[in-house]
Formats: sequence, structure tokens, C-alpha cells
Amino acid sequence: MSADQTDTEPETEPRTRRRFLLGATVAGLAAISAACSDDGGDGEAATSTTSGGDTDQESDIKVRKGDVDGGRDPNNPTAKKASAALAEDLEMATFAAGLEALAVSAYRQTAAAATAGQLGEVPPAVAEFVTTVMGHHQAALDQWNRALAISGEPQVTTPDRTLQPTVDAALKDVGDVPGAARLALMLEDIASATYLAAIPKLKAPESIALAASIQPVDMQHAAILHFVLGEYPVPDVFAKTEQAVAPA
Amino acid sequence: MTIDERALRELIAESNDLHVDAQRDTAAALDRLADLRHDRRDNEVNVEEIAGFNAQRRTVLAGSGVGAIGWLTRGVFATGFTTALAALVAAPASADEALDIQILQTAGSLETLAVATYAAALELDFIKNGNEVIVTFAQTTMKQHADHLAAFNAQVRKLGGKAQTQPNAKYAKIVEAAKPTLKAPGDVVMLASALETVATQTYVKNASLLEDSPTKELMASVTGVEAQHLATLRAVGALLGAGRAELIAIPTMPADLPAAAGGAAFPKPFEGTEMASPPEEGAVK
Repeated sequence: MSADQTDTEPETEPRTRRRFLLGATVAGLAAISAACSDDGGDGEAATSTTSGGDTDQESDIKVRKGDVDGGRDPNNPTAKKASAALAEDLEMATFAAGLEALAVSAYRQTAAAATAGQLGEVPPAVAEFVTTVMGHHQAALDQWNRALAISGEPQVTTPDRTLQPTVDAALKDVGDVPGAARLALMLEDIASATYLAAIPKLKAPESIALAASIQPVDMQHAAILHFVLGEYPVPDVFAKTEQAVAPA
Repeated sequence: MTIDERALRELIAESNDLHVDAQRDTAAALDRLADLRHDRRDNEVNVEEIAGFNAQRRTVLAGSGVGAIGWLTRGVFATGFTTALAALVAAPASADEALDIQILQTAGSLETLAVATYAAALELDFIKNGNEVIVTFAQTTMKQHADHLAAFNAQVRKLGGKAQTQPNAKYAKIVEAAKPTLKAPGDVVMLASALETVATQTYVKNASLLEDSPTKELMASVTGVEAQHLATLRAVGALLGAGRAELIAIPTMPADLPAAAGGAAFPKPFEGTEMASPPEEGAVK
């Protein structure tokens, strides 16, 4: 599977009901995304709606916002003004945003491949997982971008360049649902490990709170992927940092 | 010399008022200085910044009795105000360490309760003779919570505190009240989900409150695992609710999983802190 394949429906393979369901779900999300993507809930402009390397021209698949608090970190409701310490976290914030953009991009390409029939029959639970989790990563991206924006830093709209080639290469080898789940698990493991490693190093309370509120959700994504792949969902007693990545 | 008792009482009352006012104002000032001193270790001091983003921690310190009020009672009035201020800015962060100890002890209380609750669940006929994956999950999760407890207690000892061996009193009452109502696996899943939610959200909150870096690393490494317990319980609950208990299997049958199973395990993109236990809730007295 590759990005340039995502919009091509193979003529030889009939659309299954499940692929139809996924496509319908994704199409429905476009409207939700459009409705939710331009406001942060406090009158401020949302930071990102189509990040992840895929532009609207490349794909009509959008992600739902997914954030219950209108783009705000529920654990940091007063963060209209950045703390001075946030300046020390901006490199990590930019990197985290790039990581989230990478995840959004990968899930978007996976959804497109599924819609195009390139993954075979897609179980409804997997389709729901992809759309839900893509929305979570979009919300996380938006939140990191919000931190960057209030700090006067440029927002991130493309995946981290150092990691993208690895994920792109992996995406090309994905030909079925288990393969897509393996790739997703890799992404979630990398993301959660990266946040885990970052939490003790971050300086600003708002960035610590944000990373701490994302890391467990990424691990929850991983748990369900383990389950779908036939593995025990909670394999480790303590979360690990071995797969953590850091800014280049 | 005669004593005007009425005048004396008024004088005492006035003195007490002054003392209370002084305590309140000084507590606030010392609290701010404690944070200022903490931040001064690495960074240039910005009073406005510190006053803003450390407000949460100050509130906790003051509320738990280990912050400024603790400093007041131990040192300020005994050694003189200026001496105490100077000492506060220069001294090790004893208040911070005390708060970290309380956080670890409260975490220990939640882990102790979790171990006891899963152990009790495994005694229920409909659990121990029921779905094998649920039994494995309860056994494994109980062991993981025991390991978390051991890790928290080892860390609290390193910080000079006492290990927590008692279950969280607040939630122990809730568990005890719930036990007679546990009639089916779904009931146990609901109860366990509540405990895992409290633990997860408490540890998320702690990430911003903890000062000691190794403690923060430990806490964060446990948070995600509790979150995975919660995700698994939510998924199991969704399958039980859908009448698809046969899908609670490893390996499961992904093609048969209802759509809800793909999203029910993580309802929000950010883990909340609404149910977080305050640091002092499970502190060793």
C-alpha cells in the first residue's frame, strides 16, 4: 500500500459490505470534521485540520476532531496564556506534533486503503478503531499545535521527516488487516514510549499534563490492537521507553 | 494589680485575629516563595509565571498541610520570620518531598485496594468458573497491581517515607458496599473499571504534581498500564453488553467483533483527571 494508491479502487475486486461500511463511516466523518475543525471551543482558531502530509487534494478522507473539549486539553483548562517554561518545551512540542501528524497520516492512508479494498475484508470493529484513533491523534496534534501557536512558533502540518520514510516503507508492505494492525501497533508503541520518556524531561506544567494525558490513551490503543491481533492486551507490568524517539 | 478580664478577653481575641491573618498571609507568601525557590534552581525567576503555573501545586501543598502551613508551624514562629524566609529559599525541598511521599502513599493505597478487589473477584463462582480470559485477566491484573504497589513502596522508602500497606479508605468503603451486589461478570467489570479509572486519572494528575524525577518516571510508567487495564475492561464490558461473551477470547474473532468494540475502550483522546484522588487521600498518618 502506498499513498498514491489510496484513491484507486481496484476494478477486479467487488466492494464488500464491510468495506462499504468503512467508506460510509469515513465519508460521514468528513462532515463532522468540517463542522468541528475551525474552532477551539473558546473562540480561538483551531490549529490544524488536515495535517499529516496528505492534503485535501490527495484524499477526501478527513478525521473527526474527537476532542470532547473543543480542542482544549481538559487537564489544562486555563492555558490561554503560555507559561514561560513552555519555551523550554517547544522542541519537544514540535516533535510531538510531527509524531501525531505522522500517526494521522498513517491512519488516513490505512483508511483509504481499506476503502479501496486493498486490505481485504475489514471488520467493523477495525474500521471503527481506525476512525476513532485517527481522531484522537488529530486532537493531540491540534493540542500540540495550540501550544506552539500561543508561543509564537510555527504550527506543524506535516509528519516528522525523520520518521516518515520508515512508516512509508512499512505502509507499502501492508496488504491486509493484520498487517495494518501491526503497523498501527508500532506507531502507538513509539508514540506512548516517546511521551513516557518525555514526561520527566518536560518543564512546563501544561506540556507535562498534555503528554501525561495522551500517553495512556495511546497505550489503550495498543491494548486493543494486541487483542485484535490475538495477543494479551496488557503485556507489560510497566510501560517501556525502548521504542521512544527523540528530536533529531 | 487588678485584671480587667473583659479587656483581656478582647485583647486575646484581637491577638488571635491578628495571628490568623498573619498565618493566612504568610502562608500564601511562603507558598509562593517555596515555588520560587524550586524554580530558581534551574531557571531565571519570573514571579508572574511561577505564580501562574504553580498555582495547582501550591494549592495541593497548602491543602495537604505539608506546604507553607507546615513550614509555619515547624519553623517560622520558632526561629523568626526573616530566618525562615532565608532558609526557605535556600533549603532542600522538604515540602516537595513530603508531597511526593503523600502521592506515592496514595498511589499505594489504590494499588492495595486493587489487589484486594481482584482477589475478591476471583473468589466469586461466576468469575472463577466463568470465562477463562476474564479469569486470566483478573489474575494477571492483580499481579501487576501488586508489582506496582511494591514499586511505589520501594520508591516512597527511598524518599524517606513509610510504605503504604492499607487500602484506600475512601474507595474501600465503596468496594465493600458493592460486593453484595456483584451477581454477574458485568458487575465486576463495572467495579474494576471504576477503580482503574481512579488509578489512571490519579496518576495522570500526579505527573504534573510530582517533583522527584525518578518518582515521576515510575508514576508515568504505571499510568499507561492502568489505562490498558481500563481499556480491556471497557472492551470486555462492551462485549458482555452486546451479548457476545464468546468473543472474550484470545485469540478472538476480529471479523465478528461489533463495531463498538473498536472504539469503546477509549472514549476520549485525552485521559481526564476528574476522578483523581488528591495526594493526601491515602497518605500514611
